[in-house]
Amino acid sequence: MGMNVQETLASPLVWHPQTPQEAWQLKQTYGTESIYISGGTLLRTFWESGMAAMPQHFIDLSTIRGLRELRIGEAGFLIGSQATLQSCRTNMLLQRHFPMITEAIRTIAAPSIRQLATIGGNVACYIGDSIVALLGYDAEVIWFDGIAEQRSLLMNWLQTGQGAKHDDKRLLLQMVLPFEEMEQETISSDEADKLSSQMKRFGAYHKVGRREGFTPSVATICINGRLTGSGVIQHIRIAVGGGQTVPSRLDKLEKEITGAIVDNQLLQHAYERVLQLYEPREDLFASAEYRKSTAANLIAAELWKAVRDDT
Amino acid sequence: MSNKAVEEGVPYSLHCFINEGEESIKTAPSTRLLTILRDELKLTGTKRSCDIGRCGACMVLIDGKAVNSCLAMAYQCSGKHITSIEGVALQGIDYIQQAFLEEGGFQCGYCTPGMIVSVKALLDDNSEPTDDEIAEALSGNICRCTGYGGIWRAVKQAVERKRQLLAMEQKEELI
Ligand SMILES: Cc1cc2nc3c(=O)[nH]c(=O)nc-3n(C[C@H](O)[C@H](O)[C@H](O)COP(=O)(O)OP(=O)(O)OC[C@H]3O[C@@H](n4cnc5c(N)ncnc54)[C@H](O)[C@@H]3O)c2cc1C
Ligand code: FES
Ligand code: FES
Repeated sequence: MGMNVQETLASPLVWHPQTPQEAWQLKQTYGTESIYISGGTLLRTFWESGMAAMPQHFIDLSTIRGLRELRIGEAGFLIGSQATLQSCRTNMLLQRHFPMITEAIRTIAAPSIRQLATIGGNVACYIGDSIVALLGYDAEVIWFDGIAEQRSLLMNWLQTGQGAKHDDKRLLLQMVLPFEEMEQETISSDEADKLSSQMKRFGAYHKVGRREGFTPSVATICINGRLTGSGVIQHIRIAVGGGQTVPSRLDKLEKEITGAIVDNQLLQHAYERVLQLYEPREDLFASAEYRKSTAANLIAAELWKAVRDDT
Repeated sequence: MSNKAVEEGVPYSLHCFINEGEESIKTAPSTRLLTILRDELKLTGTKRSCDIGRCGACMVLIDGKAVNSCLAMAYQCSGKHITSIEGVALQGIDYIQQAFLEEGGFQCGYCTPGMIVSVKALLDDNSEPTDDEIAEALSGNICRCTGYGGIWRAVKQAVERKRQLLAMEQKEELI
């Protein structure tokens, strides 16, 4: 353990754990009187707006060893939870292999905030804009449960953590982005060989806000797929989020359209299913209906672009 | 877990470098850098406005990177080199400030220190930014007077000056 300091009774104690175990132990000891803190940028907005009181113990995660790294590992591209958003935004490897993530980060706040804010903080708050792009790449998360490192799909991690919100004790360590293999979901290996040369990748990330830059999201979508030469969807991931909504994958829609040809009927179906499947939270700025139709339009438009660009 | 209670009750002292001077400041670890600069050190060139990272008036450099000083807490500044607008002008008026003066890059001037600090961070890192890169670098600096034309001209002039300065430096190296 590093330091534990205070000047006045009103000021918090800041703990600087060196390992996940130490951080975890501190959370056990101080419970709701404590909070994990990375860049502190989101927490600051809560404290300033009175949405949350500043707790007595800060558990500073930035001192945990090895969590700032971005690198290629055996399991895929690894992003440490303590990597700042700006270091992700400017990482050449991330930009080359997972461009929708660097694009998503470009739209998060401004560079000066991204120098402090971390990708771990963006994911652990459950509503960050990077999550939608991470879902589009089938990201997994590695987290610590007090005993061991656990690995799960980000999609599942979000679902189980949703209720817990800011009292959540799970400590997020890393994100893992798998390098995509040619998947054989719908075709045989012979066909796969034949088609791989004609296969077309498509993908897009969009964050629609009330103004062009530096804006909260009304709807954020990520779509990542492959089409065969004849316009059949061979693989697809569709993720949505925005505002106070915890992002999710529209996995039912993904299944329904995999193996189908992109035509007017499919576009209509996709549009309607987004309206049915997506359940955004409304706020003072946008109704749930408006958020749904924005997401549905963006998704249908991207599917249309994928085939249009193909012809 | 190590020496738990050892430091408990010990007042926090922030040790860092501000505008090239070494500082040890007794404060709470959660005190914002903005408060330390303005209230403790009377460096009032750094402006305070929204307090939540939205306006950019409080921008400073931390280890050469533009950061909102209303978001950075004392404990996060430990050992760091901090440059406020006063530090930018340490050797006299800086070429970016000169560009803002010549191009009318301010109206009331409240956002100007923050703008200049953001431009400095950008040009120290990337001497030939594209228009998109300039827009991204300044996206966190809001001007309440909203006349962005003069600011844009000032930044473009600063980019040109930076190019000339680098060319001169290269020439001197060759001689
Ligand atoms: C002006 C401004 C604009 C913003 N704009 C955007 C935007 O456009 N899009 C967007 O997505 N966000 C935005 N944000 C929100 C926020 O700053 C970012 O989401 C940021 O990535 C949070 O990271 P942080 O490291 O500062 O998190 P912190 O504030 O330190 O933490 C956020 C939450 O996550 C928890 N936490 C942090 N790290 C971990 C971990 N490793 N394991 C478990 N729990 C953890 C904390 O306990 C806390 O509950 C904005 C914030 C500001 C101030
Ligand atoms: S006062 Fe810091 S960004 Fe507005
Ligand atoms: S010049 Fe007045 S706020 Fe920008």
